[in-house]
Amino acid sequence: MSKRQVAMVFDLNKCLGCQTCTIACKRLWTREEGMDYMWWATVNTQPGRGTPRDWEQSGGGFKDGVAQAGKLPTRQDFGDAWKFNHEEVFFEGKGQSAHLQVVGEQPEWGPNWDEDQGAGEYPNAYYFYLPRICNHCTHPACLEACPRKAIVKREEDGIVLIDEDRCRGYRFCMEACPYKKIYFNHVKKVSQKCIFCFPRVEQGVAPACARMCPGRVRFVGYKDDQNGPIWKLVEKYKVAIPLHPEFGTEPNVFYVPPVAPPRYDAEGNIDESKPRIPDEYLVSLFGPKVLDALAILKAEMAKTRAGGKSEMLDVLIAYQWKSMFGGLDRDPATIEWTKS
Amino acid sequence: MAAGISRRKFLVGAAAGATIVAIAYWRLRPVERGAPAAAPTPTTQAPPAYGDWRDVYRERWAWDRIVKSTHFVNCWYQSHCAWNVYVKDGVVWREEQVAAYPQVRDDVPDFNPRGCQKGACFSERMYDPARLRYPMKRAGERGSGKWQRISWEEALTGIADSVLDTITKEGSDRVVWDLGPLYTMGTFGAAHQRFSFLLDCTSLDMNTEIGDGHRGVGETFGKIVFERSADDYFFSDLILIWGGNPIATQIPNAHFLLEARYKGAQIVTIAPDLSPSSIHADLWVPVKPGCDAALGLSMANVILGEKLYDAAFLREQTDLPLLVREDTRRYLRSSDLREGGSEEELYLHDPKRGIVPVPKKELRLGDLEPSLEGRFEVGLADGRKVAVRPVFELLRERVAAYAPEQATAQCGTPPEMIRSLARRIAKAKSACTVTTSNFGKYYHGNLTERAMALVLALGGQYGKKGSGFVGFPFLVQDGLEKTTFQSFDLPDRLKILASMLPKRLELQLEGYTEEMLVYERSRNMYQSGMATSGALFWYVHGGLLKASEKLEEWDPYLKRPVKDVLAESFEKGWQHVWPKPGNDPRVLFVYGSNPLRRIRCYPLLLENLWPKLNTIVTLDWRMTSTGQFSDYVLPVSAWYERTEHKWVTPLMPFIHAGEKATTYYEAKSDWEIISLLAQAVHRRAGERGITGFTDRFGKSRQFGDLYDRFSQHGEFGPTDDEKVARTLLENASNLEGVSWDELKKTGFARFTSVGSSIVSIGNATTIEPNDTITPLTKHVIEKEPYPTLSRRMQFYLDQDLYLEMDEALPIHKDPPIAGGNYPLMLTGGHTRWSIHSAWRDDALMLQQQRGVPVMYMSIEDAGARGITDGETVKVFNDLASFQVMAKTTPAVRPGQLILYHAWENFQFAGGKGFQNLIPSPLNPVELAGGQFHLRPMSICMQPSHTDRDTRVEVARA
Repeated sequence: MSKRQVAMVFDLNKCLGCQTCTIACKRLWTREEGMDYMWWATVNTQPGRGTPRDWEQSGGGFKDGVAQAGKLPTRQDFGDAWKFNHEEVFFEGKGQSAHLQVVGEQPEWGPNWDEDQGAGEYPNAYYFYLPRICNHCTHPACLEACPRKAIVKREEDGIVLIDEDRCRGYRFCMEACPYKKIYFNHVKKVSQKCIFCFPRVEQGVAPACARMCPGRVRFVGYKDDQNGPIWKLVEKYKVAIPLHPEFGTEPNVFYVPPVAPPRYDAEGNIDESKPRIPDEYLVSLFGPKVLDALAILKAEMAKTRAGGKSEMLDVLIAYQWKSMFGGLDRDPATIEWTKS
Repeated sequence: MAAGISRRKFLVGAAAGATIVAIAYWRLRPVERGAPAAAPTPTTQAPPAYGDWRDVYRERWAWDRIVKSTHFVNCWYQSHCAWNVYVKDGVVWREEQVAAYPQVRDDVPDFNPRGCQKGACFSERMYDPARLRYPMKRAGERGSGKWQRISWEEALTGIADSVLDTITKEGSDRVVWDLGPLYTMGTFGAAHQRFSFLLDCTSLDMNTEIGDGHRGVGETFGKIVFERSADDYFFSDLILIWGGNPIATQIPNAHFLLEARYKGAQIVTIAPDLSPSSIHADLWVPVKPGCDAALGLSMANVILGEKLYDAAFLREQTDLPLLVREDTRRYLRSSDLREGGSEEELYLHDPKRGIVPVPKKELRLGDLEPSLEGRFEVGLADGRKVAVRPVFELLRERVAAYAPEQATAQCGTPPEMIRSLARRIAKAKSACTVTTSNFGKYYHGNLTERAMALVLALGGQYGKKGSGFVGFPFLVQDGLEKTTFQSFDLPDRLKILASMLPKRLELQLEGYTEEMLVYERSRNMYQSGMATSGALFWYVHGGLLKASEKLEEWDPYLKRPVKDVLAESFEKGWQHVWPKPGNDPRVLFVYGSNPLRRIRCYPLLLENLWPKLNTIVTLDWRMTSTGQFSDYVLPVSAWYERTEHKWVTPLMPFIHAGEKATTYYEAKSDWEIISLLAQAVHRRAGERGITGFTDRFGKSRQFGDLYDRFSQHGEFGPTDDEKVARTLLENASNLEGVSWDELKKTGFARFTSVGSSIVSIGNATTIEPNDTITPLTKHVIEKEPYPTLSRRMQFYLDQDLYLEMDEALPIHKDPPIAGGNYPLMLTGGHTRWSIHSAWRDDALMLQQQRGVPVMYMSIEDAGARGITDGETVKVFNDLASFQVMAKTTPAVRPGQLILYHAWENFQFAGGKGFQNLIPSPLNPVELAGGQFHLRPMSICMQPSHTDRDTRVEVARA
């Protein structure tokens, strides 16, 4: 056990599916050759096959404390990295005979391939956005699976890191991680994943995906900080719950579940007898506690709808944006790097 | 490590993995096209110590310096966001939001951090292969993709000669500027206005053409610009997302909506599809595409029938008490009652005082209590007696046809839902809409907007915090007009003032408000042809009218061929276009715009307009569908390479500014390019012995002092961008106390008032430093008249064409079957993934989609055609066809197809872009004019282009 644990809460009712988190991470960390197909932060439309494709059915994690076999996702499952033929289209004298496309074989999957598709039947279709990063688990399957002991969980903040000097690219961690959030760098021959922006956290700055999120979805902080948003949302109000708790790794990313609009009956009138997003589906993602969390959230929303106050919703509103970061709210522009 | 970490420590040596940073720099450094990649410049610093692998990441985040900037593109509803641009070794490395906006009120969330995924990757986009690096001239046929690199001097000389030839031989109005999403109204605005004024060129006003004309708003309010600040939603208890998709297209604003929901507001999304903005709503109300007017009128039926309306509001703020003659269906006018009476004096009935003129100088009614009901007799000047009734009564008759049980067949919304929504709107403390520039893209969109404005008016939902139907958001520093005016020589300035003042005084005496005076000025300028209707330009000069020829088959309500209405409109001076029909345009400047991508049915332009043009110049930072078919492409500095500030909207009431962070090849700022072009015209006129020309009004002008006048006698040289930016700011009245030096350090500053600009004054409100912004308070609270014929929100329009088309009051009309009798309706919307086409071909954005254009299609329609997800399909109608990937989903309404905005033509097989089969028929009612507020002016009350009514069939390719 680490002494302290940083964590995040993602409010799915505020997630816009805009992928600013995805891009923020990409631009900061995964732009080099070998990393070009990596998206440490992803957002997928649920229900959907996700990133990597069908990750929920890929095994790994623990069952009753016993490590489970898992599949090794391929580059194609992650969606690979596409190169385009701009020069050919614009400058090589081919007129309208060349149009912009992926060079080589045309892709059949990408990191956000099933965006906005969802499930159900019109008008009772349903979908929502599910952002994911490495869960920096309290019981990381990747760490246990690594024969090189190259994966560490930091004492001071519980961030799980792959030591790239020790890693030999065996990829047991990729098989073991039930969330499939580890990628293989085929140039450096090491496994790589979300680092919870540790260089930023070290300077008191929130991770880029959180600080750059225009939807103000991502709360950050130490789990034991009773003044911070994580403790309040997870422990006090119990409105945020982990993804696939049955994977047994004790994730440290928590989700406020989505409250969808009501569904319709055959005549087109509102049908309150069951929710638009089937309970079974939410339970399949977040476990049975999701129904309690939803009930808590709906009760608070009913309060404010009736003109009342809700401390819990005030936290989720985040009147002051900086309040979302549990003290990791330093403005990076105030940092000056010394050059000598 | 209090203030920082040692850079040396984190610089990377030769240890394992240490090449990462070097590789990154190598990939980013601009490389000569075709030349082998150069190694990074060796650093003179001693090789730093390498701790362990973690230092690679620490170093990756570090930077040399930070420059404030933003993306000077027209993001409109989501503009703008202050960014820190992180520069390393002279290369822009990445960007992150400044996120330092002040909280306006303690009980309202702040604006931080703003930004979106597109802004967050511009540091990648600006170095990608779509960039233009140096001036190029085509070396083959237009569109052949064969280019020759030339020098700036060669380019400018060639273009200047073509401009001179056109101006002197055929007329200056044939030199045409098409201004696109890069138009800042900052330094580019200053350059373009100077150039156009001095050379009497024509510029296309593209606002209505692109479908942002909000005609129904203009018809009702006499203006289209008014919007709240995004944090004002926080005071709503009912938010109707109706005609918009803010979750996807107002990314930085959207949190306010969702946070208002947590605070207790109910969010209702009215849309055909389960859009991204529907999934977070408390209620999603499906509606047939293009049939929202029926829903609105049915809600009006309920509100009137159940007497839920706010009668006091209607009496004071709307034309509903105004009297209309039964015989002519026209307003009762002073000219009816007496010889020489005014056409613009209208009447109401007061139980005590009888029929009296409508107060025009203010909305306050004093002791009047106008009748909303009744039938009154009135004696005309010619002795006849006629019956008159208030508009309210006519409205009641009109909406009687929209009882929920009847309207449901038209709009597809169940009757009980219509009733419940109507009651909620009428009873809400503060109901508002999120309505973006959607309905302007429907042929009958004006009817929808009028119906929506009506429903909110019946509920008295305007002027309160968090309330109201909204128009078009626009908020600009108002220094541009003054700056351009100052550039004229003193005698010219005096002449202009002397010609304007008497008229201004006369109108002021008549009760014209400042707003109305500004609009009169706008109408005069529009009349002079400095700007002309882009839509009419393409219809007339681009041959687009051909696509409207079948309108009689497509629009069952049409009374006569649209070309006859066009002829009438031109003849009566209701609408006009420059150059005059028959005078072919010769030079087209495409500045940051993209007409071949943008214009519906663009193949007609290639067929009809392109052959008439001697010179087509694209100025842009990247290659576009139009650039491909241009004669010259000139590289403009991209957004982090310029010093500039830019307009925003009240949604985000902070001006945004940026400083040049880096340079790129031979790209130049537009101020510099246009300065050099003015110099080149000046120089070539001299070299060719051309002394002057006659402008379109027969006045002679000289080339001899052209550049002197352009540069204000040397005051503003070609590289004085910053000085121009500073001057614009100094000349602005609505940024009190904001200095340029401060602005460039902070990146943003809050507006202090809406100012006097033509495109901002319509917000009609005050901007308080510690409060949210609610539009129209000048009218609703301060009782200032609206700039309409009736000086009120006007729901009754008695202009000839409206009477002919039975649109005097809002009505529902089924959408035309534009493109032929095909079963599917091809609609669209702005995309989450690009601002217009600026990021459409960006590799990162494409990787988050499917790499190619996609069309969303219902599972039902796909299944019926044997189409599966991911398959390439052919879309076709009577006009043309294109190929696209189908994306199937139960979220789309059967019968509807959604193809989001702005894919470039070059992203489709054969270069056949999706707009090629969109006929954009011209709606004859949009050719109206003549009446007070129906006369065209800047950005509104001009005809438009539409696309959402396009009918198609889809088959497996």
